[in-house]
Amino acid sequence: MSRPAPGNRRSTKSEYIETDTGNKISRKAHIEGKPNIMLGGRTVIMAGVTMRGDLQRKQERPADGSESAAADKVSSTAITIGRGTIISTNTTIRPPMRSSRGSGPTFYPLRIGDNVFVGPGSHISALSVSSNVHVGAGCVLAPFSIVKEHCRILPGTVVPPAMVVPPGSVVAGKPGRVVGEVGEGWGQGGGGEGEEWVEGGDLRALVRKVR
Amino acid sequence: MAAPFPYTHYACPCSSSSGPVISKRASQLEPDEDQETFNPHDPRAAYSLYPLDHLLFCDECSQIRCPKCVNDEIINWFCPSCLFEVPSSAVRSENNRCSRNCYNCPSCSSPLHVTQVEKQDDGMLKPGDGRTGDEAYLLFCQYCDWTTLDIGVQFSRPTKITEQLNKARKARYTVQQPDSEDADKTVSKQLRNHDDAFDRLSVFYTEQMDETGESGNSWGSAYGSPANLARIMSLYGGLTHGALKKSREKPQPMREAAGEEEGLATYSPSDQDMDEETLQKMQTRGWDETASEEQALSTPANYGARFKDELWPAATTLRTKRGKRCRTCRQFIIRPEPKSGSARYRIRIIAHNNIPRLSLRPLHPIGPVQNPSFVMKSDHAYKDPILQPLSAQQFVLTLRNPIFETVKISLATPATTPGRVASRVTILCPSFEIGPAGDVWDEALSSSTSTIRPSDGGRSAAMASLTGTAEGEKQPEAGKIWEKTRNSTSVILEIVPGSLRPTSSIGLRDDEVKETVEEAEDDDVLEIPIYVRAEWTVDVHGEKGGEKEPKELGYWCVLGVGRIAA
Repeated sequence: MSRPAPGNRRSTKSEYIETDTGNKISRKAHIEGKPNIMLGGRTVIMAGVTMRGDLQRKQERPADGSESAAADKVSSTAITIGRGTIISTNTTIRPPMRSSRGSGPTFYPLRIGDNVFVGPGSHISALSVSSNVHVGAGCVLAPFSIVKEHCRILPGTVVPPAMVVPPGSVVAGKPGRVVGEVGEGWGQGGGGEGEEWVEGGDLRALVRKVR
Repeated sequence: MAAPFPYTHYACPCSSSSGPVISKRASQLEPDEDQETFNPHDPRAAYSLYPLDHLLFCDECSQIRCPKCVNDEIINWFCPSCLFEVPSSAVRSENNRCSRNCYNCPSCSSPLHVTQVEKQDDGMLKPGDGRTGDEAYLLFCQYCDWTTLDIGVQFSRPTKITEQLNKARKARYTVQQPDSEDADKTVSKQLRNHDDAFDRLSVFYTEQMDETGESGNSWGSAYGSPANLARIMSLYGGLTHGALKKSREKPQPMREAAGEEEGLATYSPSDQDMDEETLQKMQTRGWDETASEEQALSTPANYGARFKDELWPAATTLRTKRGKRCRTCRQFIIRPEPKSGSARYRIRIIAHNNIPRLSLRPLHPIGPVQNPSFVMKSDHAYKDPILQPLSAQQFVLTLRNPIFETVKISLATPATTPGRVASRVTILCPSFEIGPAGDVWDEALSSSTSTIRPSDGGRSAAMASLTGTAEGEKQPEAGKIWEKTRNSTSVILEIVPGSLRPTSSIGLRDDEVKETVEEAEDDDVLEIPIYVRAEWTVDVHGEKGGEKEPKELGYWCVLGVGRIAA
């Protein structure tokens, strides 16, 4: 039942490297700054995904007042991804950047929650994407946008910079607007044995299928 | 958001279209007998069919509840941008908009940002040490680069934007007062502001009410007082002699607003040069500088706006968190947690956990089963499944039981689907039992063992589907269930899709056929209505061993199978 492997069936090497916690990371993913990336387990990073973990907040900034004192406490993790999250092919994950006065560009840590599905060819630069969010194909989550729980971002949406998407919204358009609300049963079911998976639901079954 | 095939939609019984459906289509040869068949191609069907995640369930009434048969009750209002909860008392006075610093771009609707003006070009180099004198801020849209500088507004502080904006607006629209010759003009300028006009009107009418002796305490509740209601009733209702006399005794009727001071906006010829001016502006600036309708409607402040440079930032509209009550028994079936940031529920009774759910898949899938919302590779485009007409195809219909009791199911479906294209449908085993649902742990532990027939493990199934007949392959048999797990049962559904074109025997009336082919756009979608009847017993007092109470639930479902090839 498995999806046929893309392209030619190469040698014995499987496409994915599986870690102890069950993360599956494609050998064809471009991952920079690996020490700054945290994966929660059972998370899939597919081929062609670009993750810019090297864009972390600079620690050795000259201290110039109160705002940097708060910044110094922040750990160097640039990208955090929760459990059971799927990052589909050719997606870019890039921590958002803001240039503040005097201190040059500063990158902010990017957080993605549990059971988040990110469709192929998306660009994620959000500040945070909460759990059980379904992002369709070819979406752009512009810098500093915040997507709350149980949201559905329809394919091809451009979520404008710094937009806050309230929980349970359906977002569509360029620029993205809240066009509706998900049903109360959002994300229920799925994940069970042999059951079809649902958007926003448990993605474990889908993760298991990826190989 | 068209649902991908195969889908299951459930009909809410609240809509009467799930009952009698009067169809005048000639193709519906079979007259419905005692029970009317649900016709998914009926125009009204679209209003009663829902995907499962939108359906609720009332456990008092034991009925499915759809968004149409629940009452919404607002729990709280909050700003979607700052997620700040707005007390209900403040909602109306603030026009259902956030009164804090949340603004949306009037041009593209994305959120606006408070940014410092970089007019002093070397601002980056200066240390920001308390020199607040010449600091200026603006609202900036990071999506379309609109700024408040486009309308010539900037702020002295980054906080209290609403206050500053109001001040700026007031300053802009009353600035003509001293230098314009006649006072009329300033008023008419002001009247472009709808709020202002409304205020004047409401003041005027309140005065009128007071003068005529109406005890209406405010404009909004004119009909609220019993006295007024009685008067209206006597006006329109059966007039007794006394009441008639009384109503005649009423003094002069109320006057309407008759002047700009009173809020009446009239057209005067002197506006003509203003129109000329507008026309001139339109000519010189072109289409791109004119405000679209959507932009003009973004906020009441923009209602009169004709050009982009008149667009005012729109305060973010509030959103609500709503609880839902059953319309029949008034109990809460959805009650979210009042905190605006959280997505949790205190009460959530959804259909998903209370009615057996159906899912359909082909018995011999041709390609990998695809759900378009889970396409992970952009080159794997989703295509609607195409069904060959007039060739029998078998599907596996799986019913899952979310209830903690064993449920007896009977399925019923019309032998031929209603609609223009009649497809033949046979459920090989229409009545069976589904085991009770357990908790997740049970499921996890037993799923590998309790499956009577292990769901086709990759290789063998692939082989079987390739060769067509494997020796171990189970054959679908009438009256037998296909496979059974602890809380799900699958049966085989045999479908012979009808032909889009009528069979050759009536080929002579070719022109007439052509007409009917174009009749409806989704006629080629094969949708099967199925009536599901579930019966089970529950312990009356919750404890086992007590007396059992029979329960029953029946509902129509529609299975979308695919499109029939032309």
